[in-house]
Amino acid sequence: MGADFSQPQRQSSIGILVMFFYTLQQYARALWPMIVIWIFKFDEVNKLYFFLGMIAVFVSIGVISYLKYLNFTFFLDSENEEFIITEGVFNKTKTSIQLRKIQQVNINQSFIQKLIGVYELDVDTAGSNKKEGTIKAISHELALELKFRLLENEELKTTIGTETIALEETEQKLFEAAHPFIKISFLSLLKVGITSNYGRSIALLVIFFTTIYENFQNFGDESKVYEEKVGSYIDKNLVLQTILTSIVLLFVVVLVVNVIRTVFKYYDYKITRQKGSLLLSFGLLNTKSTIIKPEKVQITTVKRNYFQKKMGILELKIKQATSGEKEERKSIIEIPGCSEAERDSILRLLFHKIPEKGLMLQPNFRKLIFSVFISIGLPLFGFLGIGYWLEPIIFEYSYMVPVYLVVIGLIQYFRFKNNRLFIHENFIIKQSGAWDISNDIIEPSKIQAITTSQLFWHKKLNIGSITLHTAGGNIAFQLANYSIVKQQVNLWLYEIETSDSNWM
Amino acid sequence: MENFTNETIDTRQLPKFEEVTFTNLHPKYIWVVLINLALFIGILILVPILFSMFKPELFSGRVWLIIGVVIPIFSVLLVAFSIIGFKKKGFAFREHDVLFRFGLIATNTIVIPYNRVQHVALHEGLISRYFGLAKIEIFTAGGSSSDIEIPGIEKEQAENIKQLLMGKIQKQL
Repeated sequence: MGADFSQPQRQSSIGILVMFFYTLQQYARALWPMIVIWIFKFDEVNKLYFFLGMIAVFVSIGVISYLKYLNFTFFLDSENEEFIITEGVFNKTKTSIQLRKIQQVNINQSFIQKLIGVYELDVDTAGSNKKEGTIKAISHELALELKFRLLENEELKTTIGTETIALEETEQKLFEAAHPFIKISFLSLLKVGITSNYGRSIALLVIFFTTIYENFQNFGDESKVYEEKVGSYIDKNLVLQTILTSIVLLFVVVLVVNVIRTVFKYYDYKITRQKGSLLLSFGLLNTKSTIIKPEKVQITTVKRNYFQKKMGILELKIKQATSGEKEERKSIIEIPGCSEAERDSILRLLFHKIPEKGLMLQPNFRKLIFSVFISIGLPLFGFLGIGYWLEPIIFEYSYMVPVYLVVIGLIQYFRFKNNRLFIHENFIIKQSGAWDISNDIIEPSKIQAITTSQLFWHKKLNIGSITLHTAGGNIAFQLANYSIVKQQVNLWLYEIETSDSNWM
Repeated sequence: MENFTNETIDTRQLPKFEEVTFTNLHPKYIWVVLINLALFIGILILVPILFSMFKPELFSGRVWLIIGVVIPIFSVLLVAFSIIGFKKKGFAFREHDVLFRFGLIATNTIVIPYNRVQHVALHEGLISRYFGLAKIEIFTAGGSSSDIEIPGIEKEQAENIKQLLMGKIQKQL
């Protein structure tokens, strides 16, 4: 291993070209409207000035990329086991990455880099969306060697890991063979299809209803011209009937579509255990399979609504630790249509015990007032404002106001009523939702950071909010008893800081 | 095993994060904030002025009046909020975690335990560099909402803090 990374070093000198193209691209993207205008006005512009300008732009980009090249250095600090990147011409940034925190090192080559014959090296750690460190121009040998050096630690870690796994494996093999795990039946999928996605169905219904109504009104206007009262009466009756039947029809259609969608997506849903992790496979046309590693699981959500409760089914959602936004959607795993027993066995596998609800926190009633103000007060004010000052026509839709008030009011009320935070020694459970009630379960050891927040006029009332940040998303709870929250935060911090628990 | 104990924790005896004394940002940093604001407000004022000189027909007189009233009010509020915001910001490094407090209307406190820090970066803006200040950025795996950025720390102190943090992260192994 000849290359020495212990001294700060620059990228390949040919990298100036890469920098040049990237900077050019960046500027072109920022200034494209101006460029378009220039192209259209090309004939009117003084050619000499135009070319001088072009040259000036290219030269300045060249200088900038040269400066970027000069100021970009990277090195391995073997003493502290850090990888350090320094960059920036005017704004300087120095990024230090602990070697053992590095999750991935990717060597890529974009089109420009291919032309020039250099490679790009990305260093990625868990969590934040962007790449933590990127070296834009590096020769292939050097990249491979750097990758090797960066991941040396990683290999050490994994070899230790596999040993322990191998031990566990032998223990579990016997157990697994005798343990056919969960299979979700076709009937459960039907139930899921019928009982979920109401929000979307209702939205569709509302859109449908309003368009029908508008058509009906237009129709009514026309009919007045040439028909007398009797005629329009019959018409209205007929139209009302068609509306009702079409609503019923639409509801049936939505249900059928829901059922078909669910069946297609989740047909033959099988969960098997392997080495302590869960293997899922599902799908009618294209079978998907994913793996859940209990130690990577951050947030587990149990969701069910009233009908599902009556039918004895529920939906599980599992969020694993992510690195990068692209993976985020992939890493949410849904298990529809579990029974309660199945839920318990999955939870036991993930947490080694059934999550318990402990101390209960409720939001202050001000939360309800605030959400009512936002969801009812402001829209109503807007409606009246537009009606008075701009378009009095919308007052024709005033009959919608009470409907809106009742529907949204009920939703907000139930949302408030269901909003709870349960704090147990080993679990934190947040309950939320108006119709679909979800329970987000996390373990305190998965917490990455904690934010507490209090509005200054809430100080005397002793209420405040808390956000628990995990690698799989945030859990937030507003306007709870602040002294309890603070006490809990201190306890969680104590627990996190005294143990070196593995959060992934 | 003999040394193993498992006593009940008295939660009232735990160190309280809410009673930590916070260090304010470096007093010079307010100049960085103000210069940045001055540049922003300068552009905000200059652009409408240029338009009103060369293309007054762009808006009607009433709209120009509204613009003329709104921009100064907005600027004054912006400056006032920035100054208060600067005063409200504070940080503290405890033995096991780092705290950052910020916020005008709401007082937010974010706490990151050292054994959850992924990596640390030191950022020097152009204007900050002139005043010899730097910004420490502390990243966790919890996404951008759980990262801490502490601006307005003297360069030397910032380097020390960074070393301290890296040392703390190291120890967790």
